[in-house]
Amino acid sequence: MGLLSYSGDGASLEASSTIVRPGLLNRVPNPHSLTIARRRGPGDHSVKELLAQVQQASQVGLAVLGTWCHRQQESKESLGHFLEGLGTIFSHEPWLQLCREKGSKFWSCKATHQQGSGTPGVSSEDEVMLIFYDQRKVLLSHLHPPTVLPDCQAGEATVSAEGLAAIFDTVSRSEVLFCKDQFDEGPVRLSHWQSEGVEASILVELVKQASGPLCLLVACLLSLISAASTCRLWKLWPLPFIASKLSTCEQLRHRLEHLTLVFSTQKAQSPAQLMRKANMLVSMLLDVALGLTLLSWLHSSNRIGQLANALIPMADHVAEELQHLLQWLMGAPAGLKMNRALDQVLGRFFLYHIHLWISYIHLMSPFIERILWHVGLSACLGLTVALSILSDIFALLTFHIYCFYVYGARLYCLKICGLSSLWRLFRGKKWNVLRQRVDSCSYDLDQLFIGTLLFTILVFLLPTTALYYLVFTLLRLLVVTVQGLIHLLVDLINSLPLYSLGLRLCRPYRLAAGVKFRVLEHEAGRPLRLLMQINPLPYSSVVHTYRLPRCGCHPKHSWGSLCRKLFFGELIYPWKQRGDKQD
Amino acid sequence: MCDQSENSTEEVRWQKVLYKRQPFPDNYVDRRFLEELRKNIYARKYQYWAVVFESSVVIQQLCSVCVFVVIWWYMDEGLLAPHWLLGTGLASSLIGYVLFDLIDGGKGRQKSGRTRWADLKSALVFITFTYGFSPVLKTLTESVSTDTIYAMSVFMLLGHLIFFDYGANAAIVSSTLSLNMAIFASVCLASRLPRSLHAFIMVTFAIQIFALWPMLQKKLKACTPRSYVGVTLLFACSAFGGLLSISAVGAVLFALLLISISCLCPFYLIRLQLFKENIHGPWDEAEIKEDLSRFLS
Repeated sequence: MGLLSYSGDGASLEASSTIVRPGLLNRVPNPHSLTIARRRGPGDHSVKELLAQVQQASQVGLAVLGTWCHRQQESKESLGHFLEGLGTIFSHEPWLQLCREKGSKFWSCKATHQQGSGTPGVSSEDEVMLIFYDQRKVLLSHLHPPTVLPDCQAGEATVSAEGLAAIFDTVSRSEVLFCKDQFDEGPVRLSHWQSEGVEASILVELVKQASGPLCLLVACLLSLISAASTCRLWKLWPLPFIASKLSTCEQLRHRLEHLTLVFSTQKAQSPAQLMRKANMLVSMLLDVALGLTLLSWLHSSNRIGQLANALIPMADHVAEELQHLLQWLMGAPAGLKMNRALDQVLGRFFLYHIHLWISYIHLMSPFIERILWHVGLSACLGLTVALSILSDIFALLTFHIYCFYVYGARLYCLKICGLSSLWRLFRGKKWNVLRQRVDSCSYDLDQLFIGTLLFTILVFLLPTTALYYLVFTLLRLLVVTVQGLIHLLVDLINSLPLYSLGLRLCRPYRLAAGVKFRVLEHEAGRPLRLLMQINPLPYSSVVHTYRLPRCGCHPKHSWGSLCRKLFFGELIYPWKQRGDKQD
Repeated sequence: MCDQSENSTEEVRWQKVLYKRQPFPDNYVDRRFLEELRKNIYARKYQYWAVVFESSVVIQQLCSVCVFVVIWWYMDEGLLAPHWLLGTGLASSLIGYVLFDLIDGGKGRQKSGRTRWADLKSALVFITFTYGFSPVLKTLTESVSTDTIYAMSVFMLLGHLIFFDYGANAAIVSSTLSLNMAIFASVCLASRLPRSLHAFIMVTFAIQIFALWPMLQKKLKACTPRSYVGVTLLFACSAFGGLLSISAVGAVLFALLLISISCLCPFYLIRLQLFKENIHGPWDEAEIKEDLSRFLS
């Protein structure tokens, strides 16, 4: 239990603190004052020597503020004289005397004024405040300042805020003193003051010692891998294009970056960076653990063979359904006025495509089981890699739908563009490219004739093309949605700050959003006693602050632009286009 | 003395202003109150026969639409052989082409700077494209209901008549739009014909009657007004005759429409001029008479 005594007189707040631990020396780093107490201390000279030693070791200014005594009776018997003597050596105004009351847990504080009788009560007892707090928690907590600072309401608020700031400043400077604990000699620290259990501390220390060489080893391996990946062979024409479209490659690159960052031999400079590294490590470990689970599930009781046997009939079934759909479209779907000739041509074209696709799948079928087996092995790299490969396989298996979509969209786009420009011609207008507006224009007779002829033809053929486009776009959107869901899952594993969340769950004080004070006792004639507690950071802001960067290969479409693109027949892709604006 | 009296009369003179205190009652109206009022200064005096002559443009266009519809009906019923129509159309086009140059002695051609090669090219483009697209046109509206096609054609032909350039200076006039609507209607109607050759000939005929014939008419009207009147009468009679062979009631209604447009409407216009009371005065909004284009550019 830490104890912080706070004395102030009105405007100029003067902060001071005491660390109370029974049986040990209580050191308070403060340029102004120090309360010091010993149960069985030698003379007052040794107190001064000790003070000088501590000051030299920690480079923090110290002063004596008052005395502290564990039990009232003892102070009466043996220590009384010593404490009184201290009071005469160190002069501080007011001189504080802390002691535990008889039969109660509370500490009483007595502030005496040496020249108090002479001067009128400038510093009365109301202005002395005792703040109890957990030293360990305060030292370990990492304060997250709010992004939007609340307005200071009045001058008093700022004054008290300054006082509080002084307290925190003092506590934070005393960290130097605390880290120099008396157990910190030797390669293995047996008592780990941060945790309760001794065995855990030993393990932690052993891991700490081992981590250095391990990091070095892994960093060497990683640099080898990255050197291999920058080899010129990979820069040959089709490879970078294919790699940028496959989510597996993106995911592997992402993971490689994470690994290099985590196992870099440099130390993390700031706590945020440390947290980032820890988050990456935990997310990677979880990823690999999930992947191994998947692997063991897949390789038990011949699940891969079952999957491979189920895959071919499924593809056949999808193709059959598509054939039915096309035959329905080639009739008079929903009583729409389709152009029969164009309808037949398009339908046959797509049917032929499906036929091609089915023969391709059947050609592949003997190898599918082996391919799946190898893909299953990749799960040991992590669940995200396996999911990315799944997404890629899904994309490859629905390649015919993609082809249909592209044909439909191109045809539709051609029609829409042609219609819009011919409609301008129909009204005797044209698009002025230089001024970006529609101008009137006088056309020749033959231009008008051909334009109107084409316009009429396009108008009557539009419903047919639009229907094919609509159906295939819906199919394509379905595929893209499935892929998007897989990517969402991958992103979730990639970017969730699991370590921070665990810390927030188990040690809420480590991530502090602020503090709150609870009044323990407020009686007239006695100093105000407060309990300081740490407000933990809410989960949403934990996620927001420590979120890891996502794998940056997904486009960010707004709904409006998506609808616009769909209407004008522009192609939509699940990956980022080169021409897209980065937002 | 005299000067003074004049001064005093000058002082008590009533002024048409509200910002001055004057020695008159509020409801006082001077003799000079409306002396600046002018009536009908821009009204035109029309000659009856001149108006009738001008109305012949409308007659011609109505007759064109009527003839086109009648010919389409004959084709649709199979009463008219497409070859015959093609031959007649080609012959009349050639005659019209020769006449087009003969009427003004080739002045218009020199002015526009258009060569015969360009004419030939345009003709080739028309024929090639129409012939190439005629199978497409044939199957274009197969699945669309006939009534829809009729309704669309009627709207398009009405639009053609509304937006046609009759020589009036109005914002609604757009010869491009009018021609395009006519072509659209002709393509719609041609797609209902039994064979693709029919469609081809129908669209060619539409070009002749909606694009080429008005150009020749304009030249005729400008150069030889007498022959223009004769041609108009002949055309109207032939349209009436064609319509009569299909439906007597329609023909009678059409004749009534033509007569009302060419005779009754001019008469009514001249009669209504008598009731015109346009008042002008200093209260008119300002009118810029000077040419300001040099300031604007």
